[in-house]
Order: sequence, then C-alpha cells, then structure tokens
Amino acid sequence: MTAFSDIIASNGTYLIMYLLAFVLLYLGIVKHFEPLLLIPIAFGVLIANFPGGDMGVYQADEAGRIVDASGKVLAENIWEMSLPQIAHDLGLMNFLYYMLIKTGFLPPVIFMGVGALTDFGPMLRNLRLSIFGAAAQMGIFAVLIIAVASGQFNIKEAASLGIIGGADGPTAIFTTIKLAPHLLAPIAIAAYSYMALVPVIIPLVVKMLCSEKELKINMKEQDKLYPSGQKMKNEKIIKIIFPIAVTTIVALLVPSAVSLIGMLMFGNLLKEIGSDTSRLFDTISNSIMNTATVFLGLCVGATMTVQAFLNWTTIGIVVGGFFAFGLSIASGIIMVKITNLFSKKKINPLIGATGLSAVPMASRVCNEISTKYDPKNHVLNYCMSSNVSGVIGSAVAAGVLIYRYVLKISFQLFLVDFGVDLGARPQGHSELWPKRLSQKMPKSNKNNGR
Amino acid sequence: MITNDIFGALQLLIVGMVTVFLVLLIVIYLGKLLIWAVNKWAHEETVAKKSVPVAKAIESIDANTKAIIDAAISQLTGGKGRASKITKL
Repeated sequence: MTAFSDIIASNGTYLIMYLLAFVLLYLGIVKHFEPLLLIPIAFGVLIANFPGGDMGVYQADEAGRIVDASGKVLAENIWEMSLPQIAHDLGLMNFLYYMLIKTGFLPPVIFMGVGALTDFGPMLRNLRLSIFGAAAQMGIFAVLIIAVASGQFNIKEAASLGIIGGADGPTAIFTTIKLAPHLLAPIAIAAYSYMALVPVIIPLVVKMLCSEKELKINMKEQDKLYPSGQKMKNEKIIKIIFPIAVTTIVALLVPSAVSLIGMLMFGNLLKEIGSDTSRLFDTISNSIMNTATVFLGLCVGATMTVQAFLNWTTIGIVVGGFFAFGLSIASGIIMVKITNLFSKKKINPLIGATGLSAVPMASRVCNEISTKYDPKNHVLNYCMSSNVSGVIGSAVAAGVLIYRYVLKISFQLFLVDFGVDLGARPQGHSELWPKRLSQKMPKSNKNNGR
Repeated sequence: MITNDIFGALQLLIVGMVTVFLVLLIVIYLGKLLIWAVNKWAHEETVAKKSVPVAKAIESIDANTKAIIDAAISQLTGGKGRASKITKL
C-alpha cells in the first residue's frame, strides 16, 4: 500500500535520488542558482521517484516499446498510442513528456520567449565582435570527439553531451530529444548546473589563460583610437529588419536550426515592433515562457528516475559537460588572442570568454572581472555582442548536429517511399517512421550502440 | 566501430565549425549591409518627446488658477496642505 517496502528493497537507490532532489532544491532556493529552472527540475526528480506514484517518465526503445525495471512490458509501441491512452496507461507525467518534450515543442517555445527578452542592439553596434560567438562553439565539437574516443558514448550520445558546451539549456534539450532522448535528464541537469556555475567557471578559465595586461585592455579607449566607420542613424528600423533577415538567411543555410533560430527571431521581432505587438510580446515573454518553463522543468526532472540516472554514463556526462563548457570559454579567449596578434585595435580577451550563450550572466561576470582590474573599464556592452551571437552560434551548431542524423534519415525515408531498396533499416529515430519502415524494410541486426 | 565514429566526429567538427563561422560571418555582413542601407535610405530616428514631469505639468497651468487653488487649499487645511498634482478633468 505505501511506498516504504519498495524504497527499503531498493538498497538505498531511491534515497540517493531524494538526496539529489533536496540538494538541487537547496541550490535553487537558498543559493539562487537558476531557481526558475532548478526548482521545477528538482521537484520533478522528487515526485518521479516514489514507487507506485506513476510520475516517472519511461523512455521508449527504438521500436517504441516500454519496459519497467521489473521487466514488465508497459507499452508495445508508444508511437502508435493516443495521448489519452498514454495518460491512462503510463500516468500524467508521461502524457506531458510525450506531448510537450518528446515532440520537441517546448524548447522552441522557450526560445521564442528568450528572443523577446534579447536585445540585438549591442551586437549591431559591435558587429565585428560577434565572430567570437562562433569561436566559442569549439568546445561542443571537441568534447564530441573526446566522448566518442572514450568508447563510452556513441556518436549521437556524444553530440548531445557536447552541446552542453553551447551553454544554452533549450538548445541542449532540443538536441538531446532529437539525438539521444534517454540521456535527457543528466544532460539537462548538467547544462543548467554549469550555466548556474558561470560565475565560477569563467573566472577560473580566464585566470588560467589571460594576463593582467590583457584584462586591462580598455575597449572604449581602443574605440577612440580606432573608431569604427558605421553609426546607426535609425536603430529601430534596423532592429526590425534584422530578425527577419537573419531567419531567412539561416533557414536557407541550416534548415534544421530554423525551429530554434526562427522562434528566437520571431520573439525578438514582436519586441522590436513595439506598441503594435506589445500584447503579443507581453504574452510570450511572460505567460507563455513561464508556463513552458514550469512544464519543461517538471518533465525533465521526471525523466531522472533511479533506472535512468544512477549509472556511469551520467558521471561521464557531468565530467564531459564541464570540459565542454571550459573548452568553449577557452576557445573564445584563444580566438581573441590570435586576432590581437594581427590587429592594431586590441580586444579584451573577456569578450571571447562570453562567446557561449549564457546570456546575460556571462557578460555580467566578465564585466565584474574587468572592473576588478580597472574600475573604469566597463566591457558589458562589448561582451553582450559576442554573448548574443553565441546564442545564434550554438543554435546553428545544434542544427548541424541534428541535420547530420535526422535529415539523413528523412532522405532515406524519401528513397524508401520511391521504392529504392536500402538493404537494411537505417539506424536511429525509428519513431519518425514506425509504420512505413516496418512495412517496407527488413530490420537491421546492427547494434545501435546503446 | 569507434574508429568510424571518431572519423564521423572529426567530420562534424570541420563541417560544424565552418558552418557556424560562415553563418555568423553572413550575419555580420548582413548587419553591416542593413546599417548601410538604412543609413542611406531611411530618415534619421527622431527622439521621442519625454513625458512632462509633474512639477512642469503644474507649471503649465495658468499661474492665476494655480494661485487660486493654492489659496483655497491653504484656507481649507489651515495652511498645512499644498497641491502636489493638478489635472484638468
């Protein structure tokens, strides 16, 4: 009747999960580490781990089959179940997870809210500095290689791990849902935890790589010595056209990033238009974003069950995520140093350190570092340029990772529809084609690496 | 299997970083083009008129009217009250 007998029989594994939930709640409530996300995630962890509560999320295998810890089959093919059936058979949290998260619905909705709260003004005023938002994505791909080389992760899992280096929660969740949904919980936790630890990680990397002389480079003085040519006469018009133009260009170059970049820019457009769309802007930046955050946090937390979380892969993700984060910051700094070798106009390396997306915390932290060395040296506006471009950069990087796999499979499906014999069933994302492929193609015997 | 995956990861590194740099370079030059085009063809942004502060709003009311209101308030409150805001209905 009660949960005690199962908890006692679990050899303390449930107690570890409760402890983890309490630690996360403590960090969110008392230490104020990303409270808007850590608190729903932590509470999701807590309610998901009471035996008999039916609030934990079950991960389906490639064929959509769901089996519980005791080996009992709960669903033969979840991709063919209706949402009311999922709610009835697997519980409320699975209904929310498969409707909102697994479909990839919530991360772009949150990106829309992020766009509404983002000001591209600093980026447009310092366009040259935006390139450091690209350099700082190096950590994503470097950790991808390290993770694959370790042999502990297959390439899709490694890509999901690497995206933590983008320092962007919704992007990390979106990529993981597409590539390695069974790792969603540890990757989301690691991504948001390291984002909360930006005030610790950035100073650590900066201290290791930058000299005092470099940190004292005053950007305003450099601007006076080497002024940039373009001044904006009508910033409002530019800010309205910019999101439309960027969406169009990115959509043409990296179509798989449109769901993130498109929604980001749509939110920003509503903000920049002003009074005509102020009601929509107010809705997406408050009501919709807050609602999405609540459900995203709870569902991600609920994926963190004993079976899914307590394993070596999770430890690998926590370690790998830290390296991805650190390498992203380091690669931004190194890019600035290389630029300074060839340019008369010197750039403060802190601007490279903010190339990851943690907006605006990374910029605030770097401004604090620069004012510590020279109280008059405020770099916030300059850092915001690379920081905001880092949001675009990490979304594009995610688009490349997703494109590599999902579109490849879409192309294979297209060939199958036109009667081309591929010989074996393509690997991964079977949820995208359950009926068509099961009818038309033989099942591959290859191990998918999980 | 791992060798294939490492080769795939290296491919992703090259393709990914080139794409990210390319997209952001395009965004940068697109921004520059936009600024140039808007500077050339659009009219200069007019700074919105600031809202009139309360003190100035009171001043904008006819001095005689203000004096009459002040005198009435002073009489009613025994010299303790004063007008902080006067608005026309």
